[in-house]
Amino acid sequence: MESDGQRMDLFRRTRLAAVSAVGVAAALALSGCGASAEAPTETASGGTLRAAFAGSTTETLDYLHGPTALDYVRARLVHAPLCEIDPSAADGVSYGVVQSIDVSADLSQYTLKVRPGVRFTDGNPVTSQDVLYSLRAPVVLKGLPFTLLPSRNFDLDAASAPDDSTVVLPAISPIADGREILCQSMLTIPNGTTEFTVDTPSSGPFTIASFEPGQSTVLHRNPDYYGAAPSLEEIDLFSIPDAEARANALRNGQVDFASGLAPAQAQSLQGAAGISVTSSELPYASYLHFTMDSTKAPFDDPRVREAVKLAVNRDRIVQNVYGGLAFVGDDVPGLGFPSYDQSLPQRGYDPAAARQLLADAGAQGAQVTLTAGPELPGMLETATLIVDDLRAVGIDASLNELPPGQLFADYPAYLAMPFRAGYTPPAMFEPNYKPGARPDVDALVLRARSASDATTRLQASHDAQQLLWQSGDQLGPVFVPNISAARDGVSGVRELQFPDLSQASVTR
Amino acid sequence: MPGRVTRSIGARALVAVAMLFALTAVVFWCTEVLPGDAVGVVSGQDATPAERDAVRVALGLDRPALERYVDWIAHALQGDLGVSLVSGRAVAGIVSARFGTTVSLLVPAALGIAALAGALGTAAGLRQGSRLDRFLSGATVVLIGTPDFLLATMLLAVSAACLPALPAVALLPPGGSLWQHPELVVLPALALALGGFGSTMRLLRASVAHAARAPFAEFARLNGVRGPRYVRTVLASALGPAIHSLSIMIAGLLGGGIVVESLFNVPGVGYELGRAVATRDVPLVQALSLVVSASCLFILLVGDVLSRLAGPRAPRHADADTAVTV
Repeated sequence: MESDGQRMDLFRRTRLAAVSAVGVAAALALSGCGASAEAPTETASGGTLRAAFAGSTTETLDYLHGPTALDYVRARLVHAPLCEIDPSAADGVSYGVVQSIDVSADLSQYTLKVRPGVRFTDGNPVTSQDVLYSLRAPVVLKGLPFTLLPSRNFDLDAASAPDDSTVVLPAISPIADGREILCQSMLTIPNGTTEFTVDTPSSGPFTIASFEPGQSTVLHRNPDYYGAAPSLEEIDLFSIPDAEARANALRNGQVDFASGLAPAQAQSLQGAAGISVTSSELPYASYLHFTMDSTKAPFDDPRVREAVKLAVNRDRIVQNVYGGLAFVGDDVPGLGFPSYDQSLPQRGYDPAAARQLLADAGAQGAQVTLTAGPELPGMLETATLIVDDLRAVGIDASLNELPPGQLFADYPAYLAMPFRAGYTPPAMFEPNYKPGARPDVDALVLRARSASDATTRLQASHDAQQLLWQSGDQLGPVFVPNISAARDGVSGVRELQFPDLSQASVTR
Repeated sequence: MPGRVTRSIGARALVAVAMLFALTAVVFWCTEVLPGDAVGVVSGQDATPAERDAVRVALGLDRPALERYVDWIAHALQGDLGVSLVSGRAVAGIVSARFGTTVSLLVPAALGIAALAGALGTAAGLRQGSRLDRFLSGATVVLIGTPDFLLATMLLAVSAACLPALPAVALLPPGGSLWQHPELVVLPALALALGGFGSTMRLLRASVAHAARAPFAEFARLNGVRGPRYVRTVLASALGPAIHSLSIMIAGLLGGGIVVESLFNVPGVGYELGRAVATRDVPLVQALSLVVSASCLFILLVGDVLSRLAGPRAPRHADADTAVTV
């Protein structure tokens, strides 16, 4: 019995020991969990940012041919921009690889000075030859039309590089906005580049560690970058074509940043814990416009055009379609850029005046078909609201809804449409204005770009905008920003025309 | 019998090749007839007419359609599928990557459909008329009628609440492939399986019920064959039509899983074909439709062969079984 008791005692003690050992281990584990929860957040330097963009299998490292937003975001992180449009800077641009741009007094010659000390990843310095080639490359390599803006305004064949740090560019005709044209989207590439691969020497804040088109890109910090060192060690760019899937990836914590969201996703993410929605500020908003064919009835009568502009409820579009994340437009492009005419009165919503104008013009009941497609987030929804508003003032309006891609696929047919949707990415008004339709406006825009003193130029630009506001053929109800969302802890993303991640930082 | 099967397979293969040739011509003509072409897509809105013409010449779209088609066929026969009009990348690389993604999604989905249809169809067929049968039949009708995106969204909501470990979007870590990360395809494969097993299940149910009423099955039951052996006996003769239906369903998923593919970011051939048509990228459309059609024909052929192999053997197998028990 005593031995039984001893055995029981021993058993009990062993069990007790085991239980207490487990308890101690559990306590240690829990405190370990607790300790890790209170672990110091990573310092602002370092870390990896996982960002999702709308890509596709057609992605390429060749930024001159890259069709998606992701291609340009990646290219801008890898190749340093020559300079950047900066509405708040004195010259209208902030300088990068190009240190300064001087304009001759007669506005016909531009002199670029290359910043000393900038190197490519293979160690070669960036010289004027590289800068000149970077400007010529869109023509030499037959780049996409949006890259051809400098070649349309400068005579690049006659351009020269008298020494290693100077480039002289003659303009085709005198222009004052050459700086903005050069800085809109040009990146620095080595002289003679014909192919863009992972190993192409580059000059930007990051280098490409791996690239899988349509899937992901891994970028590592470039330790030899000439400018402000990036805070991030690594950026993983993920290609997720579907906007809902991008939002889900962010919600699920699979990515830290998602860009190019539609207003619907933005609204559903706005309530989510730990996620904040941001949108780009003016002037980085796309101009959503609807062009009326003023050579045919009923839009050949300026009263009808004015009636259409007054009949549309712009605030309703901003609220219903974009949830407030958009800017009301005033039928004139370039909102937010320095030369935008702030004195233009904002056209309001006046259906009574619209009905009166239509009666005066004898155009009540006029049949009108608006053609639109889902080319820009909200384009179709805005077109639907416009058709509603037009019907309410007595125009027999209908919507022709096209499948994705078809609106611009047949350009001649597009130009022939009587009332068509379109959009312009954020861009200054004067250099991107297409002459031909209105000789009076064409002359004013020419003076706005080439007159010798700044006051004359600004006045001419404002006069041109006045004319377009009064009798132009475009209804421009809204400017659409780029909407992104990030989880808390991500900061420093600059929302320009495309998000700039080079100065972003991440804390966990 | 093997000789007959081989000869019929050979004949089917020849017909398939002829069909594929005809298909390339039809697809080419269809894309040509669509308004617009890749020039509009590539140039964007701001291009000048001169720039558009330059793009047209660079893409080779200034040549007549027939000349472009013959050129494409000539190159394709040598194995060169051309380059994408929109990005300049080799089409063969794009298609093989997308096809690999589709296959890595399709295989688990097909297994899921086979398992769900097989288990539920057999259970419902053997207990035809019972409450289980009525419940399963009703549930499958509901699932057949539910749109893909609704199923996928509900699945996402359920998994977010109950199984947060499953990723909502198939994001591959750099350098990885879907085969190495099977957890990424669980949700999309489940969405495809839930949406796709219904018709196969109902067909199998009817087939099993029919077989269970047949004399050989009654004979087996009277001889005391029960449980798994009885199920195998009945199933062996009921499988033929079900395999046929399964192969048609899987062939349909090749190009038809677009909604699930885009929502879960598993971009396969269906999704890519949609985008290629929208951007009028003719070489990519041709190559993708060729691959999809060839795979469909192959899957249908395999399904036919399997169902023929499964069919005629069954009565002999059942006779042997009952002979042994007697």
